[in-house]
Amino acid sequence: MSGKASSSQPSIGLGGSGALSHVYIQYPPLHCSIPGLRGLHYDDGNKLLISSTSDQIFSWKTVPFNPLATPTCDSISEGPILCIRFSLDAKLIAVQRSSTEIEFYNRETKETFFRRCRSESENILGFFWTDCPLCDIVIVKTSGLDLFAYNSVSKSLDLVETRKSNVSWYIYTHESRLVLLASGMQCRTFTGFQLSSAGMIRLPKFEMAMAKPEVNSKPVLDAEDVCIVTVYGRIYCLQVDRVAMLLHSYRFYRDAVVQQGSLPIYSSKIALSVVDNVLLVHQVDAKVVILYDIFADSRVPVSAPLPLLLRGFPRSYSSSRFRESENSEVNNTGESVIYGDNWTFLVPDLICDISNKRLWKIHLDLEAISASSSEVPSVLEFLQRRKLETYKAKQLCLGIVKTVILERRPVSVVARAIDVLVTSYSHSIKTGSYFKGLKNEKTSLSNVPNVNSPVSSTDVSTSRIDGLGKSIRHESAAGIDSESLNRSSTFSASESEDISSFEPLKTNSNDLQLGGCKANRASLSGADSANEVHRSFSKYQLPGSSDNSFNANISEQQDSQLTSPAISPDEMYRFVFASVEEEMGGDPSYLVSIIVEFLRSANLEKIKIHPSLYVLTIQLLARYERFAELGLFIINKILEPSKEVALQLLESGRQNIQTRKLGLDMLRQLSLHQDYVLLLMQDGYYREALRYAWKHKVTTVQPSLFLEAAFASNDSQHLAAVLRFFSDFIPDFHNTEDFNSYYRVLNEMNSSIAA
Amino acid sequence: MGLASVSTASEGIQFCIFDLRRGQNEGQELDKILFFFPADLPFSTQLSVIGLSEGLITFTRIFSPEAACEVIEAERHSHVFYEAESDIWMVMVVEKSKEAEAIWRIEDLRKVLKEVHSLFVMFYGPVRAMLEKEPNGGLIRSHFYPFIMDYLSDFLVGKRLQLPSFRDCLKERGNVQMLTVGREAAIEVQSLVRILESCVGNTQCYSLILFQDLLVSTTLSPDDTINLFTYAVQRLTPHALSSGASSWSYLRRASTSSHAGSVSTMAHSGSVSEQIYHSSDISPSGDNNHRVSRPLQHGKWSKGNDGFLVTDIWGVDVGSSMIASPTVWLQQTEERMYLCIYQYKGLTLILLMPVSSILNGEQGVSAVKQQVLENASLKILKVEEKLSKGWGGENAYHVGGYRYLLVDGDRNISRASPPGKVTTLTKESLLAMSKLREEVDLEKGRAKWDNAGLEKDLEVCIRAKNNAWVIARITRGKELYMVLEKANETLLYASDAFEKFSSRYCNGAFSLD
Repeated sequence: MSGKASSSQPSIGLGGSGALSHVYIQYPPLHCSIPGLRGLHYDDGNKLLISSTSDQIFSWKTVPFNPLATPTCDSISEGPILCIRFSLDAKLIAVQRSSTEIEFYNRETKETFFRRCRSESENILGFFWTDCPLCDIVIVKTSGLDLFAYNSVSKSLDLVETRKSNVSWYIYTHESRLVLLASGMQCRTFTGFQLSSAGMIRLPKFEMAMAKPEVNSKPVLDAEDVCIVTVYGRIYCLQVDRVAMLLHSYRFYRDAVVQQGSLPIYSSKIALSVVDNVLLVHQVDAKVVILYDIFADSRVPVSAPLPLLLRGFPRSYSSSRFRESENSEVNNTGESVIYGDNWTFLVPDLICDISNKRLWKIHLDLEAISASSSEVPSVLEFLQRRKLETYKAKQLCLGIVKTVILERRPVSVVARAIDVLVTSYSHSIKTGSYFKGLKNEKTSLSNVPNVNSPVSSTDVSTSRIDGLGKSIRHESAAGIDSESLNRSSTFSASESEDISSFEPLKTNSNDLQLGGCKANRASLSGADSANEVHRSFSKYQLPGSSDNSFNANISEQQDSQLTSPAISPDEMYRFVFASVEEEMGGDPSYLVSIIVEFLRSANLEKIKIHPSLYVLTIQLLARYERFAELGLFIINKILEPSKEVALQLLESGRQNIQTRKLGLDMLRQLSLHQDYVLLLMQDGYYREALRYAWKHKVTTVQPSLFLEAAFASNDSQHLAAVLRFFSDFIPDFHNTEDFNSYYRVLNEMNSSIAA
Repeated sequence: MGLASVSTASEGIQFCIFDLRRGQNEGQELDKILFFFPADLPFSTQLSVIGLSEGLITFTRIFSPEAACEVIEAERHSHVFYEAESDIWMVMVVEKSKEAEAIWRIEDLRKVLKEVHSLFVMFYGPVRAMLEKEPNGGLIRSHFYPFIMDYLSDFLVGKRLQLPSFRDCLKERGNVQMLTVGREAAIEVQSLVRILESCVGNTQCYSLILFQDLLVSTTLSPDDTINLFTYAVQRLTPHALSSGASSWSYLRRASTSSHAGSVSTMAHSGSVSEQIYHSSDISPSGDNNHRVSRPLQHGKWSKGNDGFLVTDIWGVDVGSSMIASPTVWLQQTEERMYLCIYQYKGLTLILLMPVSSILNGEQGVSAVKQQVLENASLKILKVEEKLSKGWGGENAYHVGGYRYLLVDGDRNISRASPPGKVTTLTKESLLAMSKLREEVDLEKGRAKWDNAGLEKDLEVCIRAKNNAWVIARITRGKELYMVLEKANETLLYASDAFEKFSSRYCNGAFSLD
């Protein structure tokens, strides 16, 4: 497990993997290595990184993240690019040319058309494509939203709806399908719309909190300070309050926006990422990142603040091979530029290094995180909630449980750890995420009472409205926190609506420009930041073909096969109990206690246990001759009856006749008639066996076995009776070899008695 | 007046314990006698009873060295023998009275002897060991007398000592009665057991859990389980505590009021008979100075504020001046264990931990108690709740139309119709069943010697004088006895009824053909 995980890292230049860190970026990055590129844009609807030369645009797929991805090329006319996004079906390309004009390209027909602002008084702030059934594209203007449908016949946009509102700036993520429009003097009054496949929902207006630096000053909220994140299928808005040095969080529900408390920040510049539902708060000035798992509304960081690590950077490699030609570049990608000025954080988990035109993907180091806490149950809960590196999370969980057992920690501690795993497995079975094939069955979710997963646009199923309508109203009335309070399980019901379940195409239209919100604002205020983005960079070829990446993919492939880190009872048996049993030795009562706790946990969750665990329990108890307890375990069906269990009882009962009888009784109760008859004979009860065989019509046991047993008893009456039995009840038995030989034997016995 | 007043021979019961290895020389015969009831019988009478017994044992040993005399049926008496330890014999002589109630089942009486001895050993260790400790026999005599008198007081009905008779034919002494629990509750119980035993630390300890008067869980060996269970039901369970009186689980209720009456006199009568005993000068050099604990004494246990049961039976610990914790001696490990008994509502938990591994004696025990309170309290609440929810009450195991006794000899478990239901049977039925059991006992005894290793199946179905069906069936170590009073006339009907019972309540264990 952990061996595998580490082998996935290149052996050379681990980039100081010994250094403490919980989050890392993996070398090599995706490098936009086309000469003449002028800007980088990110289309979050399609997860594309887009750059352009004077008349061409190149787009790289960032999902799945592949440093060697080759770009797709499209030709467009020359001109400034403020914002660029592909339509969700990838047929159209929309390019914002100015604050009044958007140009559309049809990629198949190469036709173009424009959309311009009608009046002089309004500006286009930006736009995004949507999978909302009402419309295909939404253009955000200073006067509000315009919703357009694309008319493929007339090759133009038809205005569907207009939502009037004064807008200073806006933010949107395709992940959340949520657009927030800022207005007011301080830009802290927000109107939100969610444009999901279920339609458009208008969120209630709300204001964000801002501390005042002095009595009369009124700070203006910047788009840069607000970020929409999607975690566990819930949508939050996080807002940096530089004065209070707090990060406020707001959670969106269908009919309410509720402030959820604040996190402290330690840097005036804050960036946010979400990796595998873990919120990463980059304290950019301090060059550290703090992790929060806000699943349970806990404000406690997952771990201490630690730097972001660059992994797998080939120091020796580069120094030998690229020194002469590309020295400068190497330096630039070195650790020194972590949290460089040119870094832009893209939703959810990408970092764009604009000056070097590189795209990094942020990873969690699950191993380091799990090693940094001694609170076993909470570490397990954390790991069980992970969806990306499921294989590694699972292996870590198995390792942790094994270790606590081998260390003989108090039973109550181990029991809680086991509870976490069992609950998680049970949940994954219920939601179907344990079985890949069942993944699409989202409809079942609406039956789960707690699915109030908010306004989350992530829920694509049509049952959504009925499912959510009631429960959400209920929830917000009862206080929204209740959702996480009264749930003790590891997962929220909405967990399986995870973002990862989106089809790639549907995914997104948050064409944040590379500078994200910055760029949008730029169009308002003079475009200086846009220039930043558009600055042209020196071009480099991606050095070599980075062999390292292949290794890195190993665990990802395993991950892709596993949809959940949940551990089945069978795996618990094979990788925990059986393997621990070998290593432990000595008095098994501790291990039996652990198994009992596991059975208790599994029973509460109504999970079926494989008989092999029962067999192991019997072996453990029998080895230390605790037969009285073993009897109780069987009689009370703590170890459920099965043929395997029965056979093990017979085996362990060699030293203890009572135990052996339990095994025999179990065979009988399971109606395994043939085995029962054979065992009765083996124990010398051939007459009972014969009676039983007759009653239960067991015809598969050879008559010769009974005859042999009767003969062995050296009682001619018994032999005669058995012989007579078969003669009477088996047609033609008189003509068989058995009859003849034993008839002769019987005669000999009788004559010898007579003589 | 209690036992003292019945201890005249008129009652027709004599009970003695003697050691064949002692008093082999002329003039030292008295040395053999370790216990005699009634104590006020003249020594000549005592010696003649013992002499007869000894003679028979010696004689029968010629033919059957391993199992000598079991019973003598004389014209007016039955002598029941039990060799408790090698050469230590217990003999009970009961008078065959004209009075119809005095009809015994010999095996049942022998089980009484066995029970006395087992309980004695549980508290004081083997008799032989005690004899070796003090060869003049004073020590053992000073222990036997109060112990057995306390034991016998449980059989007092009014002023009469009433031994188990034919009316008890649907009971089986020397067994445990178990609570039937569902899987979920059973797992919770096991979980509790583990937590309980982990409170002591790393030493091997044991536990026994009862709900009301029924066993729920044990980690002790079968023999130790039976003994401790017997004691618990007698003195420790909520029922035993509340009645404050003697009550064998299977003897009670009908005679509870009379018991209560006798208890008050017991303490007094005990002292009287002790005076008689000591004045009788059997133990000239007996060490009368040291205090003998009397674990079977009535009304000595009570529930403390912390939920643990306390008693001053074991006196006061010299070191800490705390009340000494009870100790018992386990047959399986031959080790002395502290008893730690916690009670919550109907649930009684008994934790046993080796005396040798508890440091600081009483302080160590109270530290363990603290641990139990801290670690197991929640679990105890939960288990009690689960068990009481699933419990059907006193008549839970009554099966309409049947009066039955089911014995699982392999597990030492028995289950029977509730006593209240058995009393509805007519005397004829009970007598028939008692007689049948007597026969079955004989048959079982014979099979044991004839056919070592193989268990015999047996089936008897009798139509009694009152037209009741009296049925016994033995299959592979399990026994089922049944009286059907209102059954139809045909044997087929009776056997159908039996079959139904077997498949429904015994997992079909008795339905072999």
